[in-house]
Amino acid sequence: MAQARLDRREQITGWAFIAPALILLGLFMIYPIVWSLWMSFQVGKGMNLSFGGFANIVRLTKDPVFIRALGNTFTFFIFQVPIMIGLALLFAVALNDSTLRFRGLFRTAIFLPCVTSLIAYSTVFKSMFATDGIINQALMALHVIASPISWFGDPFWAKVAIIIAITWRWTGYNMIFYLAALQNIDRSIYEAARIDGVPAWARFRYLTIPMLKPVILFTTVISTIGTLQLFDEVANFTAGTGGPSDSTVTLSLYIYNLTFKFMPSFGYSATVSWVIVVLVGILTFLQFLIARDRRIKS
Amino acid sequence: MSSLKLRDVRKAFGSLEVIKGVNLDIADKEFVVFVGPSGCGKSTLLRMIAGLENITDGDLLIGDERMNDVDPSKRGIAMVFQTYALYPHMTVRENMGFALKFAGVSKADIEKQVAEAARILELGPLLDRLPKQLSGGQRQRVAIGRAIVRHPEVFLFDEPLSNLDAELRVHMRIEIARLHKELQTTIIYVTHDQVEAMTLADKIVVLREGVVEQVGRPLELYDNPANQFVAGFIGSPKMNFLAATVVDKSPDSLRIELSAHKGVRLNIPATGGAVGDKVTLGVRAEHFGEAGAGNADLTLDIDVAEHLGSTSYVYANSGSEPLVIEREESRHQFGEDRITISISADKAYLFDSKGQRLR
Repeated sequence: MAQARLDRREQITGWAFIAPALILLGLFMIYPIVWSLWMSFQVGKGMNLSFGGFANIVRLTKDPVFIRALGNTFTFFIFQVPIMIGLALLFAVALNDSTLRFRGLFRTAIFLPCVTSLIAYSTVFKSMFATDGIINQALMALHVIASPISWFGDPFWAKVAIIIAITWRWTGYNMIFYLAALQNIDRSIYEAARIDGVPAWARFRYLTIPMLKPVILFTTVISTIGTLQLFDEVANFTAGTGGPSDSTVTLSLYIYNLTFKFMPSFGYSATVSWVIVVLVGILTFLQFLIARDRRIKS
Repeated sequence: MSSLKLRDVRKAFGSLEVIKGVNLDIADKEFVVFVGPSGCGKSTLLRMIAGLENITDGDLLIGDERMNDVDPSKRGIAMVFQTYALYPHMTVRENMGFALKFAGVSKADIEKQVAEAARILELGPLLDRLPKQLSGGQRQRVAIGRAIVRHPEVFLFDEPLSNLDAELRVHMRIEIARLHKELQTTIIYVTHDQVEAMTLADKIVVLREGVVEQVGRPLELYDNPANQFVAGFIGSPKMNFLAATVVDKSPDSLRIELSAHKGVRLNIPATGGAVGDKVTLGVRAEHFGEAGAGNADLTLDIDVAEHLGSTSYVYANSGSEPLVIEREESRHQFGEDRITISISADKAYLFDSKGQRLR
């Protein structure tokens, strides 16, 4: 039988081994997190801070830019995550078909965007979505539009461009999870359904999706967190302004601007950061609640 | 009508032919077992009948209709898989009723059919369980239930008992035999286990490397194998094979001499073959007689003796050939190191150098 309690020397040795990691984690993660919570109750500009109680939370409710950013973030979340998850599932099922030729090539092509350099991809997308860019030219050549769309000059189209960009970048990443899960499903299950006359759509709806549910939940949570922290694309496409007229500003971009661009308001930006934490918590909880198996186990 | 015919059926994957022209007639309500070593093409042949694999050449007829290009769901078949292939997120009830929803069966009828299948398979108390809450044997019964509710004309079983432990396998074997009696449908059953084949089949089809070696009733195959492969494959323990040479020939028999026992000669009723031919003598373990009781005696060194109670198996060596000898109620006689047995010509089989039976 293993000794239940370690003696004192072994305990010290054990702690000594994990101490470097613990110190670094504490210094660069736990301390800033706790400090940011404390900061969120501070008011004032620059280093001139004082305790303000719930003043920052009150300010949130009256801050039009924050409300804008919250709305934008939710818009991105509500449209982008389902589109991306749906596309990723579709690609995964299609690319799992053993009769498809060039499967490896397609898989690589769809996965590649998420390992591409952020700056390189942002720059390319920016030029593609320019008023005289390739997207407008193509759409005009196909007679879909009569005059070029001002992608980053119009609040609606700016959001569309950003949704397209993030979807392009992250769909392949999610697809890989689904592909891995699909390959773990026993092929006979589909063969049995085929022999029993279950139509293809029903095999997808009633067999594939339920069997992938744990993975779908996982990717949804990961994507939700990612979207709530959306910063890179917006910052790069709009030169950090979240324009036009704050129509693409996200919570993360707003935090950045509050901290580093405007007159620094560290306390208030910490409060906005904690809003994201709370939102991620609530949304993840809701997703788990929805995905919970409702069947009563006997 | 649920008879089934295969006419020169072939299957090739690229240039590799795995089913090399199978002709087979399966009668209505017959229990047919495809048996053979792994890689012999038995599962592929079953999957071709199911429609899960294309038929490269030849015809498949179910009833009298050509089914080569008919969708699997419209062939009037149901299949039970080795891995059970249950839908993991559905209860037993849902698993059995799922496909019926898409066949336009009313809810009340689905309920009725599922209840009937549950009764036959004694699954009643398990209807609301998930597959992961069932034992292997119960899962296999659910898989069978899922096939039953569709009232197929032909049941296909692909090694259904391979994932079960030995005890459960015997139990399920009896269940399947009982089911066949009760349902009165055609069953095609694939297995690599010759005991399953012998106990279940009305007709056994022995396959090797994509070719049908012999078709017949279990005892026909046992008593009268067409070649050395079937002789060795059917029966447990395996048939013993002894190398021999033809030393003389008369119109209705061959005189052979055993290669490992110079001077031991006997006449085997057979035609064909010529003096000097290398042949193989096949004798089943239970056909070795007491010394002097047959046409020739052999004295062998005993390797090991196994006493199973009613029967004993003596493992002995004849030259480099291992032999198994079955003995009943003689548990006290193996104290010594040697045993003398006899071979009876009328209970021995002769095969030529290509493994074909000489009769």
